[in-house]
Amino acid sequence: MVERISPHQFMILGSAVLMGTTFLPIASMVTGVSGRDGWMTVLPGFVVAIPYGLMVLSLLSRYPSKNLLQISEIIFGKWIAKIIGLIYILITGYFGGLLLAQAGDIYERSVMPLTPIGVFYLGGLLLVFYLVNSGIEVFARFSEVIFPGIVIALILNMGLSIPRVEQGELLPILSEGLGPLFGGGVKVAPFAMEYILFIGGLLTFLPTSRKELGQLKTGVWRAVFLVGILNMLVVLMQILIFGPTETIRLTYGLLVLGKMVEISRTVAGVESLFLGVWLGSLVIKISAFFFTVTWGLETVFNLKGLKWNLAISIVFMAIAFGFVRGASLFAEIGFVDNYLILPFTSVWIITLWGVSRWKKGAGVQ
Amino acid sequence: MKIKGSQKRNLGLILSLIICLLSLSGCWGKTEVEELAPLIGVGLDLGKKPGTYLITQQLARPKQGGTTAAEVEDRTFSIEASSAREAYEEVYKISNRIPFMGSLKVIVIGEDAAKAGFNDILDFNQRYSEFRRSMFLVLVKGEAQSFLNLKLRNGQLPAMSIKNHMEQGENLSTFPTVRLGHYLTVLGTKSTAPIIPVVNSIKSGKGGIEYKDGKNGEEIQIQGAGVLSGDRLVDFLTDKETKGYMWLENNVVHRLINTVGIGESGVNFGGQVLKSTTKYKVKDNDGTIELQYQVKASIAVDEVMGLKKQLSEAEWIDLMKVAEESFAKEIEEECLLSLKKQRELGIDFLGIGRHIEQRNSAYWKTVKEQWQEKIVDFPISLDVQVTIHHAGMSSGSAMTN
Repeated sequence: MVERISPHQFMILGSAVLMGTTFLPIASMVTGVSGRDGWMTVLPGFVVAIPYGLMVLSLLSRYPSKNLLQISEIIFGKWIAKIIGLIYILITGYFGGLLLAQAGDIYERSVMPLTPIGVFYLGGLLLVFYLVNSGIEVFARFSEVIFPGIVIALILNMGLSIPRVEQGELLPILSEGLGPLFGGGVKVAPFAMEYILFIGGLLTFLPTSRKELGQLKTGVWRAVFLVGILNMLVVLMQILIFGPTETIRLTYGLLVLGKMVEISRTVAGVESLFLGVWLGSLVIKISAFFFTVTWGLETVFNLKGLKWNLAISIVFMAIAFGFVRGASLFAEIGFVDNYLILPFTSVWIITLWGVSRWKKGAGVQ
Repeated sequence: MKIKGSQKRNLGLILSLIICLLSLSGCWGKTEVEELAPLIGVGLDLGKKPGTYLITQQLARPKQGGTTAAEVEDRTFSIEASSAREAYEEVYKISNRIPFMGSLKVIVIGEDAAKAGFNDILDFNQRYSEFRRSMFLVLVKGEAQSFLNLKLRNGQLPAMSIKNHMEQGENLSTFPTVRLGHYLTVLGTKSTAPIIPVVNSIKSGKGGIEYKDGKNGEEIQIQGAGVLSGDRLVDFLTDKETKGYMWLENNVVHRLINTVGIGESGVNFGGQVLKSTTKYKVKDNDGTIELQYQVKASIAVDEVMGLKKQLSEAEWIDLMKVAEESFAKEIEEECLLSLKKQRELGIDFLGIGRHIEQRNSAYWKTVKEQWQEKIVDFPISLDVQVTIHHAGMSSGSAMTN
């Protein structure tokens, strides 16, 4: 029986994948490029996902129950589609492994410095493996349970940090003009493209009736604005509290904020609770990329099943162990985001959608 | 049948993986509470050897048989070391407990270390993940080591006592409460000089303060502040100059204030600030850019001295207007002292550059490179307005006409 997820599940799952752990590095990233006004670049950067998401859904309406790799084969032919598929597998597989390495980095760096980093990799991967083997429906339900917790933890972390706000750190606004904002937007756009890569493979599990297609489109809008606004607030709070110079310097500024939370001068150390919840967001994001690799292997090489999932797990672990040096990991994630995911996804989707439209207009099947 | 077999295999694999996970989630990094030595305070002084620091660590040990968990015994070590990690290693060797940094409340910086610059030795406190940026920074005239080794009359550890003073700081608003995070944020502005409060020990009979059982310990107070250029102490502010800083920085929440010695009126007032706001305005006076401070304070009068007669209702209203003017003068005087000090030092500890940048960034870009020179004579004006909300539970004088 073919698995299906509802439009609501699509919205929540999409939000959770789009969110991932973007809230941890985003402030440092955008402030580094756009300075004090970095917070303004976050929402526009995420909004890039809307036109791309709508293009993907319009392809779904034309080619129901087919993912973007299958659609590419119909439109571009077998061999070009295979090359695209191979790139898709390599990029998402490599990035998934890097995200697993990031899970280790986050926990080792912030709360459990003496635990061997491999334990974080293995622990995270076991959860991911379980979710992937359980199928997309279970994954969607997992997201429905975990995502609200992630959002609540974020809001609590930010809300409880309000007493630490410094005077006037947000001012002056736009003192350097609009130019630096573009750079910040470009830094955020790869997050949107990661989401597009995921929903490109998810298409086979989405309903295709006219009403449900409308709901899916609304789901894209809602996911993007929810995640974009939350991330914008995360950046805003960090600039307000740390000032731009410190915001850039802090690796995971939100965790530092969590450490500064004190409730009635009595309760402190709540950052560990937040980190516990955010493990869920890491697992969701890594699972999403694990899924994309399995979909790619199945579509391009017809390889599926438990042994291939095990093989992917081994590859993920190998990549993670290759990046135990945190500084190299950040550089590599940045490289994959900016120079692989962003150009590949943006060009692929536009071309696919454009050629599909042209073929439809020209009456070519 | 094939599907069932596959499902069984999947289930078996997943179960075995979960068992692996459970067996892996062991006790790496786990430390029993009894093995920890909570670090409460750290003192930073210069070491005798060049390039070393004398790092004093005030650790707390829960008192055996103490009536509350808050009762702790003092365990303070001073180690001469070239890095913070080296000092912690030595303490670990001696105490046989792991210093737990997450409980650190206060860093006391000795005068010599502050003059030499202390960012290098502070780096550990902002980098290592156990620390929290909410810890307080204070300066001490003399050595931090001596201060942390003080025996206090209330039996508290000096570091805990400083922390308690700082947490009550806004009720007095006479000194800035500087947390590590705030200090680092100010450092990041480049144009603003950090300022850190000064903690003193008070001996009975000195400074007009006397207390009983002076031999059993001392008292401490936080008064004044040190001005830094980067991470180096340049000079100290007096109590009044620090109070002026508090007004100008919009840091006054509540204040106890009196007008003794202000004006020619024979009547003096004491009161409590209920609310205060300071706003900043960058004005262009025929091409000359000026910063105007607008201080608005609401005060409740709760002490009237020198009033010799009963007043009519109209006279009382007039007297309260006099009180408003007197309080405004007092506030203005404190602010002017602070501004004078800033001009003398040529260091922007009042953050005037940031105020200009926030309100007129185009102008700021033209002056920021020469700001150090400009700050000495940059035009500044003050507008202090006081509103007396009430004069307590009575009016007039207890004496009859």
